[in-house]
Amino acid sequence: MESTNIEIGAQIPSVTKSVTTESILQFESCAILERENIHNNEELAKQRLGTTYTLASGRMSIAFASEAMRKFFGPDVFHHTGSVNLKFLRPVKNGDTITVTGSVSSQRQVENGTEITVDLHCENQNHDRTAAGIGTAIV
Amino acid sequence: MAEQPLKILDYDKLEIGEELGSYEYLLTQEMLDNFRASIDDPEACFPTLAVKHDATALNIVYNDTTGGVNAGNEVEFFNPPIPGKKIFVKGRIADKYLRRDKPYLVIEATATDEDGRLLERLKTYQMKKPDEVGKKWNPQT
Repeated sequence: MESTNIEIGAQIPSVTKSVTTESILQFESCAILERENIHNNEELAKQRLGTTYTLASGRMSIAFASEAMRKFFGPDVFHHTGSVNLKFLRPVKNGDTITVTGSVSSQRQVENGTEITVDLHCENQNHDRTAAGIGTAIV
Repeated sequence: MAEQPLKILDYDKLEIGEELGSYEYLLTQEMLDNFRASIDDPEACFPTLAVKHDATALNIVYNDTTGGVNAGNEVEFFNPPIPGKKIFVKGRIADKYLRRDKPYLVIEATATDEDGRLLERLKTYQMKKPDEVGKKWNPQT
């Protein structure tokens, strides 16, 4: 098995995204089931969560983290062996700016190469953590 | 997708391993373009994330009047979907459990395309007491 030249502690490229009502709604418009939810209906968000705003889907943060991972590993690797696993800690809403950062935390030999694990964090413009977790890819 | 009468979602009656809806749809270039624009990433290749395969599988079977908050997602990527190809999705209840007295539901969906390529496997951890999260986020209310 070949060893990799990816070192523990290596930083992945950070990704910063502006979240707007328009981007939240456009993301929701990709669904194939038309459905009111806490992402596209302010009244429903108020009723269920008590918020005065709609929330960005957590899957948007998954997509942002996936972009950072793809930029580090390259699409040929990440699109075929990648994973992202995030816990959502705070709401993301219109006007927020989300930055994804990450660093390599471990690697281990697996059947088809070396699995690299990256610790991932998403923070908003106030440096509050909105999501945290890991991503992996096999090189 | 075929229209079926929806069952009312009763958390206590859900069974781990229970099959959810299976469905197919055509992935279009427009869907990919919309997804890329929504996340400002012209090279993004998995619009399936925004299609929400697992939630869709749940919602074509159950009428979920409680709703839930997405506490986390796990996604594995195997092959990028190709616009113009049909995508086949199978969903299931992967797990359910109580944590700090709050009920969680884990739904999972696996997607393949018309050529049999495995595309993506997605899990969502839904917390089924959304008002509890609201209290945490809005302590003044």
